Amino acid sequence: MAKINLGVIGIGRMGITHYSIINSHPDIHIKAVVDTSGLILSLFEKYIKGVNTYKAYVDLFKSESLDAVIICTPPTLHYPIAIEAAKKNIHVFSEKPFTTKKILGLELSELFEQKGLVNQVGYVNRFNDVFTKVKEYLNLGIIGNVIRFRSEMFSRTITKTEEGNTWRDSHENGGGALFEVASHAIDLIIFLVGKPDKITGSSLSKVFSKNVEDTVFATMLYKNGISGTLNVNWSDESYRKPTNKIEIFGTEGKILADQHGIKIYMKNANPKFNLKEGWNSIYITDVFKPVPFYVRGNEFTSELYHFIDCINNKEIKNRCSFDDATGTLEAIEAILNDYEQNGKF
Amino acid sequence: MEPIDKIVFGDNQFFGINHMSQEKAQQLSEKFHDLSSIINVYQVAFDSGIRAVMLNSNDRAKSICEYFKDNKTKYPGLSWYPSIPYPHKYANLISEKGIIPTINEILFKDNSAMGLLGMIATGSAAVLGKDAVKMMKMLIDVEMRMYKGLNVKAIFLQNIITDLLLGYDVKEIFVEYCHYIKSKYKVLPGLITQNMPKLLEKLKEWQIEEVVICSSFNKIGYLMSPGIDSYINAATQNDPSKYQIMAMSTLASGAINAKEAYEFINRQNVQSVVFGASSKKHIEETISLISLELTVS
Repeated sequence: MAKINLGVIGIGRMGITHYSIINSHPDIHIKAVVDTSGLILSLFEKYIKGVNTYKAYVDLFKSESLDAVIICTPPTLHYPIAIEAAKKNIHVFSEKPFTTKKILGLELSELFEQKGLVNQVGYVNRFNDVFTKVKEYLNLGIIGNVIRFRSEMFSRTITKTEEGNTWRDSHENGGGALFEVASHAIDLIIFLVGKPDKITGSSLSKVFSKNVEDTVFATMLYKNGISGTLNVNWSDESYRKPTNKIEIFGTEGKILADQHGIKIYMKNANPKFNLKEGWNSIYITDVFKPVPFYVRGNEFTSELYHFIDCINNKEIKNRCSFDDATGTLEAIEAILNDYEQNGKF
Repeated sequence: MEPIDKIVFGDNQFFGINHMSQEKAQQLSEKFHDLSSIINVYQVAFDSGIRAVMLNSNDRAKSICEYFKDNKTKYPGLSWYPSIPYPHKYANLISEKGIIPTINEILFKDNSAMGLLGMIATGSAAVLGKDAVKMMKMLIDVEMRMYKGLNVKAIFLQNIITDLLLGYDVKEIFVEYCHYIKSKYKVLPGLITQNMPKLLEKLKEWQIEEVVICSSFNKIGYLMSPGIDSYINAATQNDPSKYQIMAMSTLASGAINAKEAYEFINRQNVQSVVFGASSKKHIEETISLISLELTVS
């Protein structure tokens, strides 16, 4: 089988990781990288033979014949790059939060589906072995009907006063805790419970950033009666690593989960799933699936290998498509609007 | 190559690191807030016969190193196995500032003496950047500074860095790292990895020998890519005079009981085990259960 020719656009923190992981895939040939930093490009030129380098993505599309690209630029560039890729019938893996506007997300989603191109966004929690187990439990109705939930995310991303000069400190560029961090917690809600019908009680507050929020609160309401809250803080030094926490209460029990494990309270025992009445603990060591190559966590390898599986076999449904990610953009816009209209004094 | 210690005492328990439970991690971090509570645990480990310590170069490690340097006569015959760098320090800085400003900060701002000299000699990371090997050597020196004066046996590169570089498949960086550790520090180069079979295969291909490989190795295959069978085969076929294997995560963060865990490990062709524990009972139990029969030929 011919190898899949791939380009990596944006060699920042995620681009560096994705390059390493995807380069381990036996079906992949990385043909080129794009970055605006001359320094990064000169490192590639010096140490990595046979990979072409470009300063501008337009030159990449002009000069290379590619099958797929991984986009890890600041979010505001995801849209124009994906449009160029679609013109050339190139499959796209885009980092989250996908684009910066719902309308752009919708357009891309339709375009890629219409062209039959694989489209995926890097909401990595969907590939975490614990959260996929939670999803399995919910699908099987292990805790009955979901009534309410809480989705939280904490990290020590911004812990000092910001000068306001990076893309992370601007909403227009897709920065801020809402786009950057809360998007993961929102995606997890959509993945596990579904898209909210209404958002209310939003608050965005600053800790260290100059132009954007560092914390996010919001309440999510569903027509079927489910409700839940979102609570995010990317300036919380008490967390060593970015952490998602989710609590889901149902008519038959309750699930508490983070990336490391699940605590599940059962009203009645479920022998088929080896769950006893009362509290049960399931750890990552009980549910993990080994990956072929490990860099930063099983989920980072799983998501990229899934992207390649989808390219190799069009029958496979992508587990985090542009359409899925557009749902998150819709919620982000609703939070921004709600805060603008109701949250300010 | 010089044989490494068969049992090495690790440090995760001191720094609020637990791969299975954040609650447990938080409890540990609280328990070991004071240096004295950390030293007490080391004392228990030494009383139980431990003579080797692995210590990651995080912010808190500095005070541990200081203590052992100041009290050298109290602890004769100790061997140190530093692991560098503390990856989260870099990861957080990169998130905040970007890659180049991070390297600038680490090399030039955090280290006033080196900063001044470094600035004059090299300008900044922007100039250095073109020479990744030189930059790597400077970063190693920065990270290794806290261990100066301790009896270091091997220097390990943390798995996040080893595995990231392994994915890039760049021979030169591995050659230079191992050479630098051997020539400048006169100790064994160590690589921590979660992809032991692949790393071993690459090191052979690149003809890099006399390296210590530290990797998760446990009965349930946790953090062992691509899988447990491949690990067992790679270890079985390994020549320990060229590559010594140190097993870590032997209990898979507590998923396996100690007796079962070491019954498995004792059957593998590994030369060393690094483990962390904080109670006398667990430390003594672990030591009594480890009996590695295969030694360096």
